[in-house]
Amino acid sequence: MRVAREGQGKVVGGILVLLGIVAIVEGVRLHALRTEMVAGAVVGDDTFPLIVGVALLLLGGAAALVRLPSATVTFPRGATRARMLWGLALLATYWLILSPVGYTASTALISVGLFRAMGGYRWPRALVQGAVTTALLYLLFRVWLLQPLPPGWLGS
Amino acid sequence: MVDVLGQLAGGFGAALSPMNLLMAALGALLGTFVGVLPGLGPTAAIAILFPLTTVLSPVPAIIMLAGIYYGAMYGGSTTAILLNIPGEVASVPTCLDGYPMAQQGRGGIALGIAAIGSFFAGTLGVVVLTFFAPFLADQALRFGPPEYFGLMVLAFTVVAGLSGGSLVKGFSMAVLGYFLSLIGLGPSTAEPRFVFGWTPLMSGVELIALVVGLFAISEVFLGLEEKRVAIATTIRNVFPRLADLRQAAPAILRGTGIGFLLGLLPGCAPGVTVFLAYDVEKKISRHPERFGKGAIEGVASPEAANNATSSAGFIPLMALGIPASPPLAVLLGGLLVYGLQPGPLLFQKNPEFVWTVIASLYIGNLVLLILNLPLIGMWVWLTRIPYGILGPTILLLAVLGAYTVRNSMFDVAVSVVFGVVGYFLRKYHWPLAPLLLAFILGPLLEKYMIQSLSMSGGSAMIFLQRGVSLALLVAAGILLVTSLVLVRYTSRRVKQETAEEMAL
Repeated sequence: MRVAREGQGKVVGGILVLLGIVAIVEGVRLHALRTEMVAGAVVGDDTFPLIVGVALLLLGGAAALVRLPSATVTFPRGATRARMLWGLALLATYWLILSPVGYTASTALISVGLFRAMGGYRWPRALVQGAVTTALLYLLFRVWLLQPLPPGWLGS
Repeated sequence: MVDVLGQLAGGFGAALSPMNLLMAALGALLGTFVGVLPGLGPTAAIAILFPLTTVLSPVPAIIMLAGIYYGAMYGGSTTAILLNIPGEVASVPTCLDGYPMAQQGRGGIALGIAAIGSFFAGTLGVVVLTFFAPFLADQALRFGPPEYFGLMVLAFTVVAGLSGGSLVKGFSMAVLGYFLSLIGLGPSTAEPRFVFGWTPLMSGVELIALVVGLFAISEVFLGLEEKRVAIATTIRNVFPRLADLRQAAPAILRGTGIGFLLGLLPGCAPGVTVFLAYDVEKKISRHPERFGKGAIEGVASPEAANNATSSAGFIPLMALGIPASPPLAVLLGGLLVYGLQPGPLLFQKNPEFVWTVIASLYIGNLVLLILNLPLIGMWVWLTRIPYGILGPTILLLAVLGAYTVRNSMFDVAVSVVFGVVGYFLRKYHWPLAPLLLAFILGPLLEKYMIQSLSMSGGSAMIFLQRGVSLALLVAAGILLVTSLVLVRYTSRRVKQETAEEMAL
């Protein structure tokens, strides 16, 4: 799928303007707090957010209005897009289940899913690869690097 | 001079300890392995492997990161030569003659010349770093907050060099990076900023989670989309003949000179110097028609320039805290994670650390040469691991790496979100390096600005009234203009050679 890049400046510019407004609102809040809390201080935690807010507004405006280098961007379609979306969905699921389910079960589950979805491997091979990857990552992080991993409900 | 040599000797004493040697070798091996994977450049390599170093103490960790950096640079040359795939823009000129050499069955020779040129240029760069950086740091010792602010503004000019051809895009990304750096507790009153009542935001955005998302996770999705293939070539001989060396030596020398001198300028990334080196070589050649068809000088010169610039980049990084390229920006982040503030005080406060790292750079270069020439066959074999296995493994490694830094699920979410954001930004050629640079420098810029303005009672004139601060601001202006000229030149050349835009 080919998407023209003309709209990119408006999208990013809009986001920057939005963030600029957020920064200025937060800066104003902090400014009020500073004048209330620290008597006589001419600068404080509000100064930089206000400067960054103004810069975001200016650059957001520029990004939306200035003509950026034009070309077309191709996005994947069909099987490739499906693989990418599955990969992303599995990553998001990993974030959701890693803490409650624990490292071993969640990593085994997600790695099998990733090998199946992104690599296109058959179930038996994906299961073996998932188990090996889970074990190797456990060795790396828990045994070698001595990092705590979420135990979850299953306690491991 | 004697003092420097004495300190360097002390550095070698520490760097040659078994643990540090192991870390240098491991870093070089891991870096080469990731760098050799098609499309993954040094920045992605450091991003993927960064979390693994966080459990080490600062010295072996930085030694390992530097080894990863050098290794990944060399790994990038391998894919450029054998596959015509440049991991980063700095490898584009290497493709021009390296790939034709590989097609002619001389891929091994091209890799050998690249390794020798890289070793020579890298080592020479470290020699100058050894003597020049302490001098520079000495000068900078007289700095107060306004001078440091000037230095941070100077560092900001690097953004122009990393903008990939569009200043609006570069500076927009930089300000976005500053915005992200503001999240958390305010430096003056510890009042929560941009937290909106959500506790996880109180501790701010973690650098490693951001790096992993922007550079590692997004890279996997891009790789999946590009259907990256394994190297099918078999490499036999990587040791160049004497005639090859004789032909390449002057090009290596010239490439080193160009790369090193320009690399000293903050904001001059390897992506800029490699094209200059290649063009100079072609211009002065008696047979310019050979270029693009497998000229050995076309590989030797840009490879030497690339490594010379990378090594020269350590000088402003270590002495002033200014990173000249995206991987050095990640490395700067690494130093900060280990509680070390690069800059003049680093030489004063942590001399053992500085000299051990400098000594390890010599060792790293040598280790790379010793390991890589005989191991090229193995690297080529490793690239045959299918992307269907590599992609998921890198994703899991990245996510768990982000988690283990603070044992925080919030950091996992940050890495995944910025993985998606990074993917879209890269698709539309919005440069990520300025975002990262500003994210790292943001808190420092804020600190020095607040301190300076507090000193002057709120008057910004303080930055113009003090000689060094004024000189730094003027230098920033001059460098900005120089960077713009060089970036324009490089963007045009990249477009000529690849018909697309690439971040420098």
